[in-house]
Amino acid sequence: MANSDGIILRAERIRHTYRSDGIETPVLHGVDLAVRRAEFVTIMGPSGCGKTTLLNVLGLMMRPTGGAVEIDGSRVDGLGDGEQTMLRRGKLGFVFQRFNLLPVLSAERNVALALELRGKSDRHDAERNRSAGQRVAEALDRVGLSDKRRHKPGALSVGEQQRVAIARAIVGRPRLLLADEPTGNLDSRNAAIVLDLLADLNRSDGLTVVMITHNEHLADRADRVLTMIDGRFEQQ
Amino acid sequence: MFSLAVAHLAHRKLRTALSILAVSIGIMMLVVMLALSHGMLNEVADRIQSVDAELIVLPENENVIFTAGAAFSGKYAPVIDAFEYGGRRVVKQTIGVMLDTLHMGGQQQRLFGVDRADMSAFLGRREVVRGRLFDEGRAFGDRLDGLRNENGYYDPALVGEAELLAACELVIDERLARVGDYEVGDEVIFLGRPFEIVGVVESGVAGRVFCPIQVLQYVKNGGVPWVSLFFVKLHPPPLAGGDQDRLRVGPSEASAGGGASQVSYEEAIADALSERIKAKVELKGAYRDLMYESFSQVYVYINVASGMALIVCFIIILLSMYTMVLERTREIGILKSLGAGRAYLIGLSVVEATLVCVCGTTLGLGLAIGAKLGLEAAKPLLTVSIEPAFVLIALGIGIIGGVLSALYPGYRAARLDPVAALSME
Ligand SMILES: Nc1ncnc2c1ncn2[C@@H]1O[C@H](COP(=O)(O)OP(=O)(O)OP(=O)(O)O)[C@@H](O)[C@H]1O
Ligand SMILES: [Mg+2]
Repeated sequence: MANSDGIILRAERIRHTYRSDGIETPVLHGVDLAVRRAEFVTIMGPSGCGKTTLLNVLGLMMRPTGGAVEIDGSRVDGLGDGEQTMLRRGKLGFVFQRFNLLPVLSAERNVALALELRGKSDRHDAERNRSAGQRVAEALDRVGLSDKRRHKPGALSVGEQQRVAIARAIVGRPRLLLADEPTGNLDSRNAAIVLDLLADLNRSDGLTVVMITHNEHLADRADRVLTMIDGRFEQQ
Repeated sequence: MFSLAVAHLAHRKLRTALSILAVSIGIMMLVVMLALSHGMLNEVADRIQSVDAELIVLPENENVIFTAGAAFSGKYAPVIDAFEYGGRRVVKQTIGVMLDTLHMGGQQQRLFGVDRADMSAFLGRREVVRGRLFDEGRAFGDRLDGLRNENGYYDPALVGEAELLAACELVIDERLARVGDYEVGDEVIFLGRPFEIVGVVESGVAGRVFCPIQVLQYVKNGGVPWVSLFFVKLHPPPLAGGDQDRLRVGPSEASAGGGASQVSYEEAIADALSERIKAKVELKGAYRDLMYESFSQVYVYINVASGMALIVCFIIILLSMYTMVLERTREIGILKSLGAGRAYLIGLSVVEATLVCVCGTTLGLGLAIGAKLGLEAAKPLLTVSIEPAFVLIALGIGIIGGVLSALYPGYRAARLDPVAALSME
């Protein structure tokens, strides 16, 4: 059913209100979204409109106040924390604005860690047969950092750090890559490199990408650009 | 998980080192305390085993560690000597000992007042390495015996001070001679009189210092032949099969229990003798247990003190792990975004703490060995024995403590909200 219509990610009437210290901040007001397999979607919108909130909901990092999320055909709102963690491990990859590499580990080990965490939830039999070391090497090769695999994040440029983060996100062969302003901290040259990389992963590997960006030039490279205003997507 | 844990520990070297140090000090305290107390007890108990006798007669209800002074009157020895079991006399030799303490070699020593005639039971095959034994030819002993009435008493006024001073002699063991740098001919002031060291015997004898029992009895009790305890040497059991069997069944012969209630020849005699003289009669081999028993009070303090030290060091581990969780909030968010579950995060905390504790325990054992060597150098008469069991106890406590003190911080890490964690600065 869900698989046959080619939709890998579906969100219906997502609402979210933050509650902290008794203050309620309504952020999402019924977001609908459907992303097809191998599609490249970008989300734009003014600061504070709720883009990151939506991405966290889609990435199963938080539960929305209301609405339903479906990933690769499975409804997730009824799942427990453990099952959501398994799903996140198996199908999703994240890239953040702030790279979020572990500073104590080398590039190589940062990437390997994602594979280690993924562990048994790996469904691809063909993948399983290859050693973790090989896969880490391939992922780093893919982002062009084979020669810096032993560097710790502190010894890499910001552009390189983000490429390591991308290698880490793709090493487990996720179905869906969620990227929150992956170029936000990069200069235009590095931003272009990172975007080329994501576009290539999308085109040649069929990876589905949902990317938040503030940069219109980058956004235009996507199959579809969604604009969010006040917790809703603008009608296209 | 393991390599990440190691990377974390390596990243915070100072804190890791301090945590390891904290654990190692706690473990060292525990091990040294155990080693000191067990070493001391075992050393004394081992030396008691060297006496050529099967039974020990002790005053009822008294702590063996503090047994001293005159506990048994002169009436006991003849009764023990003449004691019959199974229709025959079983006691070969009754050895009275008067215990006291004197200061030698930098610490209190237990002084064994022994009759010259009984010294062979204490020496066994050990030799007099220098000098001679006290009261040569048992001159003083025989002189007093000549004065005694039928009850064993004599009039102290009949013994001159010069005669007494001539009998004020000590025999010490080699270890004490070495530690206190004593030579034959040296004088030690005790009970206000000069005692001359007349001989040095091989170590391993029951006491480190011996003197004539008659001197102690004269000076402390006006000559009455009272003693602190007896060692009793038995005749070997009769060899005839029937007799042997009968004896082996012991006092509860009538019971149809069969093999279950079997007691040895010595045990059976000990029970019967205890009944007869209303005193505690124990197998020499049971002395170790008796010592441990009387020492149990002290053990409570030792265990409480070491326990406190360990609790403090595990609180340090807990705090250290907890600050790591706080400091790594962001990182925990990252791990969660990568799909780390509860088990992984708790496991990570446990692995880290366990690594710290294993290192700390190992270092603590090393420190304990160092402390042992140091203590033995500073106080050569102390026996500090680190037994394999203590190493296992230390490792067990170290690992269990590590795991327990990591559970709460790990649980907190697992509960962190990943989104909030990732937005942390
Ligand atoms: N934990 C929180 N508690 C309360 N309010 C929050 C919380 N996180 C975000 N908000 C609020 O929710 C709104 C949406 O935040 P969000 O981070 O989703 O915006 P955004 O579109 O990603 O903005 P930007 O482009 O600046 O990243 C903001 O007004 C923000 O202040
Ligand atoms: Mg944002």
